[in-house]
Amino acid sequence: MQIVISIDDTDNLESRGTGEIASLIAEGLTEKGWGTASLVTRHQLLVHPDIPYTSHNSAMCFAAEIDEGAWEQVIGFAGEFLRRESAEGSDPGLCVVSLPGLRHTPELVEFGRRAKREVIAMPEAYQLAERLGVHLSEHGGTGQGIIGALAGAGLRLWGNDGRMKGSLTFARETVSVTELLAHPNVDEVRCVTGVQVSARDLVRLGEKPKTVLIGGASVLLVSAAESADVAWQTLHRRQLKDY
Amino acid sequence: MWRTLENGTREFLPGKENWAAAALAALDCPGFLLDVDEEVIADEERSCYNCRYRRWSAASFTCQWRFQQG
Repeated sequence: MQIVISIDDTDNLESRGTGEIASLIAEGLTEKGWGTASLVTRHQLLVHPDIPYTSHNSAMCFAAEIDEGAWEQVIGFAGEFLRRESAEGSDPGLCVVSLPGLRHTPELVEFGRRAKREVIAMPEAYQLAERLGVHLSEHGGTGQGIIGALAGAGLRLWGNDGRMKGSLTFARETVSVTELLAHPNVDEVRCVTGVQVSARDLVRLGEKPKTVLIGGASVLLVSAAESADVAWQTLHRRQLKDY
Repeated sequence: MWRTLENGTREFLPGKENWAAAALAALDCPGFLLDVDEEVIADEERSCYNCRYRRWSAASFTCQWRFQQG
């Protein structure tokens, strides 16, 4: 059974980040034999004076394939993990979506997209989660993180928002597109200006290259290389900030 | 480069896209602390844009470090 897990508001200025907590939940799920998790993605939500957030208001999300019988255990494990590991003063929220059980995906996607441009209150998030058959729970503080958690799940399901947590690692600085596509976290290599990229082209990897979600795929964006010995180079970090 | 807000935090006046100014501001800052990797956006590692103590706003960010120190 395919699920999506999304968390938000687990950190403070001194603690580890929400992304690390998401990774630990993903690892725990695998270690316990309930299933396997995919890469964690970061989703930017609205920054606004009326929204309490630590420093960036981003949600962290991952998809997983789990045994159907593990649904309740996964929710219990993730919730308990958030309660135990979230930082003092944080307001953690957890969203778990069963894809087979999700009643109306477009509504959840639209909620996620709205959370990037509007202030949304907690009751609306709970009402939507109940209507769609989505698990949504708070695990400390005000529980305000449920809004971002639900939004993060919607954005992940949309497939056109967010960048990967962590980065791609290769033994060499220059690799072919074919080699890039063999990486489990790379579905596509695409030029930002739309120029065709061919399998034999060489790509120079910048520092900590990251994929972004486009069309439901994990896409490594490249641009024309600044030097003539290779065709492409990965984008600078600043070029990825809006994903 | 900064203006002090009523709550005591400082707002970065150059905004969100002035990479050189953000790197310069962080250069000698004793409070600079690199944020977790997924929140790092500037290619210059030591940049206010990458600092754990920046809090993004619609137009720019505020520095929470001096505020934290009281």
